[in-house]
Amino acid sequence: MNASSYYPGAANTARTPYLRAASTCLAGRRAARARNSARVGALGAVLAGFVLAASPAHADRIEKHFAVQSKPKITVRNSNGRIQVKAWTKNEVLVAWTNASGKSVVETEQAGNRVEVSTRMIEDSVSADEGKTDFEVTVPVESELNVRTDSGNVTVDSVHGDMTFDTVGANLQLSDVDGYMVVKTIDGSLICTRCSGKLEANSISGNVQMIQPTLDSVRVQTSSGNIFFDGSFLSRGIYIMKNFSGTIEVHFASSDSFDVNATSLKGDVINQATFKPDTHGTSHPISKWGHSLFGTMNEGHAKVELSSFSGTIKILKRD
Amino acid sequence: MLCEQFEQILEQQDDGALPKPALAHLETCEACRALSADFGAIHDMALELGAEAIAPPERIWVSLRNQLEAEGLIRSPQAAPPSASHAGHGWWAVFQRPAVAGVFLGLVLAAASMVGYWSNIPQTAAHFSQLAPQQEASSVPSADSVFKEEVLTVGSDSIPGLQRQDTAVTDSIRRNLQIVDNFIAVCEKSVREQPDNQMAREYLYGAYQQKAELLATATNRSLRGGLQ
Repeated sequence: MNASSYYPGAANTARTPYLRAASTCLAGRRAARARNSARVGALGAVLAGFVLAASPAHADRIEKHFAVQSKPKITVRNSNGRIQVKAWTKNEVLVAWTNASGKSVVETEQAGNRVEVSTRMIEDSVSADEGKTDFEVTVPVESELNVRTDSGNVTVDSVHGDMTFDTVGANLQLSDVDGYMVVKTIDGSLICTRCSGKLEANSISGNVQMIQPTLDSVRVQTSSGNIFFDGSFLSRGIYIMKNFSGTIEVHFASSDSFDVNATSLKGDVINQATFKPDTHGTSHPISKWGHSLFGTMNEGHAKVELSSFSGTIKILKRD
Repeated sequence: MLCEQFEQILEQQDDGALPKPALAHLETCEACRALSADFGAIHDMALELGAEAIAPPERIWVSLRNQLEAEGLIRSPQAAPPSASHAGHGWWAVFQRPAVAGVFLGLVLAAASMVGYWSNIPQTAAHFSQLAPQQEASSVPSADSVFKEEVLTVGSDSIPGLQRQDTAVTDSIRRNLQIVDNFIAVCEKSVREQPDNQMAREYLYGAYQQKAELLATATNRSLRGGLQ
């Protein structure tokens, strides 16, 4: 096991080449000052001003590399700050971070194929803004991710593997990911673009958008947020979308094959599809409460359940 | 009739009487008589469980209270009369230990499940429809009354998670607590007005569960001084 902490200002060989170059340059200017102190002094002041303006105190970018084998499990815990996760073909995890105020500590740990990264405030009185730490994490394409953060956006691009996200207000953007994705947030939004696999998302007031998904299992629930689905309903897929007061909007193609069960207790159900009565022998007793819609599109290979308490459900035909 | 055939009939039999061949077999086979008696006992017990409101025995509450007092997590009313402000915050002191908070969350979720279980039983639908704050005559607090008193009445002011420096998180939790509380109120109203509306009840349980999970999240964030 290999664990370490990074304190702001501590010696670190992984500083950016930019800063090393700036430092070398300043050293050179100090030598030149002996020959021409007035001219170089002025130049040094200008350079120092440039460095300070471009890189605020403690905002060093720190990197750490972890050699892993295929399918590592990476955990990132952060209170406040951006987390960007990208994929590459190397068997290595690269974690880079910046903390502008220098008032948070990043701790890393590796045990075989498990890599954990977490931030900690150096003292209790540190505010969220002061503790803000931005991460860039590059992982093998096939990796398992576990991200936990309070606020600050999370983006994940082209990672294939199971993923869990636990946030308070952080917005989440997943692009070209494939796996079993579990998202739990209080009021963060989720945008899932070209996602494959299975998605479970639970939010109170966040919106959930699935754009061009190829998901075969969707279980999305939000209370006051909106749900948007624009993609294909795969054969044997199950799509359950539920909210309390927002809008649920589902776009379908005329070639899609699915059974639908849509009910809004106090809202409307707007439908542009031509459904046949359920052809699979399932009886749907007419509820005396709310607005309901049951039916089958083509062979009904997928199952779509849409439910809202007081929101509007829209089943719209894609152009 | 063979014993295997009798067992199949017994398993498939609902409340009605056994067919004549099975009854004839029962008279001659002691093993199947015992099996049939066991099935009957299980069936009767299940009916009793369904018909009664399940309240944990008083000793559970007394024991839990004693344990919490022994650990100094709560004080008895005699030892420390609650002030107006303390009354609102005192029980949250329990949450200052992760283990206790975890146990409490478990109780809360179990209680929420039980509330849902009771209300699914037609005989107790009337009981569930009385969501107005009425106390039962029994001195033993039922799980749902504890749940309603201890969780549903929690306001954002008394959550330790909201003492943090992170105003964005604090605001988010406050705002969403308000949202969930509003949903609970709306759902309760619907269930009162339409006691046989199954969908309204399901939304109400969902809202209860959401509130419990939100409180757990707030507590968890606070206990750990942010994320760990």
